[in-house]
Amino acid sequence: MTTPSAIYKHGDELEKHFQVDINNARYKTTNGSTTGPSEHVLNAGQIDRDRPSDPKLLDNTESSSPSYTPLSLLRMQLTGLQDDINIFLTERMEVAKMKKSKLASDAEEKRIEEEIKVLLDGGDDDNSETENEQ
Amino acid sequence: MVNLNTIAPKNGRSYYIALGLEGSANKLGVGVIKHPILKEQEIGDHSHDCHAEILSNIRDTYTTPPGEGFLPRDTARHHRNWCVRLIKRALKEAKINDPRLDLDVICFTKGPGMGAPLHSVVIAARTCSLLWDIPLVRVNHCVGHIEMGREITKAVNPVVLYVSGGNTQVIAYSENRYRIFGETLDIAIGNCLDRFARTLKIPNAPSPGYNIEQLANKCKNKDQLVELPYTVKGMDLSMSGILAYIDSLAKDLFKGNKKNKILFDTKTGEQKVTVEDLCYSLQENLFAMLVEITERAMAHVNTSQVLIVGGVGCNVRLQEMMAQMCKDRANGQVHATDERFCIDNGVMIAQAGLLQYRMGDVVKDLKETIVTQKFRTDEVYVSWRE
Repeated sequence: MTTPSAIYKHGDELEKHFQVDINNARYKTTNGSTTGPSEHVLNAGQIDRDRPSDPKLLDNTESSSPSYTPLSLLRMQLTGLQDDINIFLTERMEVAKMKKSKLASDAEEKRIEEEIKVLLDGGDDDNSETENEQ
Repeated sequence: MVNLNTIAPKNGRSYYIALGLEGSANKLGVGVIKHPILKEQEIGDHSHDCHAEILSNIRDTYTTPPGEGFLPRDTARHHRNWCVRLIKRALKEAKINDPRLDLDVICFTKGPGMGAPLHSVVIAARTCSLLWDIPLVRVNHCVGHIEMGREITKAVNPVVLYVSGGNTQVIAYSENRYRIFGETLDIAIGNCLDRFARTLKIPNAPSPGYNIEQLANKCKNKDQLVELPYTVKGMDLSMSGILAYIDSLAKDLFKGNKKNKILFDTKTGEQKVTVEDLCYSLQENLFAMLVEITERAMAHVNTSQVLIVGGVGCNVRLQEMMAQMCKDRANGQVHATDERFCIDNGVMIAQAGLLQYRMGDVVKDLKETIVTQKFRTDEVYVSWRE
């Protein structure tokens, strides 16, 4: 049976493939690690009644080695895949945020350096302009 | 000439069946509706009287603890995890054994609404469409409310007051569009009431607006309104300032700020205003504004019918005030529906979607099924009316 997969592309620089590992426990549950209720509502006292339903067992399956319906297998694999994608995208967002703040701090550093340089050179544009006018 | 019978029903039947999926805010609705083929619908505008039969109308609401609103992410999660359960229940109640054979069309809300919840529902709609090989129809949420209201009340050409958590509009039909005559310039009336309910920390179940209405009913000083800003601007209105003002009053009341002359007697320190008084005054003030702009729209289009739709339309006091205004105008009539159809539901999406389907408007490519947060009522071409 084929398993679902996903590809993330960003221009030419990045291509990330997401695959299901059928032996890994994260692809054998319908309760994902990133798809639960937000912490904010839980802290406010929310009781979670919106959980996904458990995977459906096939009729006549043995409890020692449960077999699931094809759609339930797909749901479990997609839950794991969604977790992988969510974690990857969150990391990307963090990187983007850091880049942005680094750019901002670089720009600030450059501005201060320029200011100091101008002062050390003895340049004071406003005064010199005034002097010229006089 | 409008002909609603141009597309034949599936399998040579004499009726159409549509499944409607709604999830633009915190209510998830699934409904099944049936339209018989009527001869008179081939020769003119009978879109308000389709002899619709509601086979099922199931709804589940995402509610949060008192003092909290609903976040897009959690609302989307609710819809994602309840959608299949609700579809199964709706089909069972409608006695649809094989959707492949029995359903003519699947209708879903394209917008307006909250992006993430809309997205959860459209994924379910696409999946069912592919699974059962049934065409899709995109529906404007506001048009869904209007068409359901018209079908239930049989109002032929009313001025529509659409009042809900996300929308406040006065609408009238003209030349194949539902034209917006007046609307809010900032927040919707339901949002104003809901946010005040959050300040009061009253429960969100069954709905914050309903709980405000119940508190307002308990007001003992109905002849002494707390003065609030009255902000009608031509045909439009504004409610954010009113909310900020009444919020500050409520906070002063809870803090026991005796310096506030409106709430406390400066000499004795006695409390003059209660939470119930605030709820009553807020409702009276906001509803008076709505009645004023609705009456102005009625005068513009020279009609005597008003149809109130949307979640706030359930409010009995609003219906009373509107009825009073209509009574003062010659032969005026107010049409409203109960909570089954006022509050967001799947049947209204099925009703509007089925009208579109019967006029040949279906999705031809899945690329056309992208949902949108902004989708104005007057963007829809109303082909099913003259």
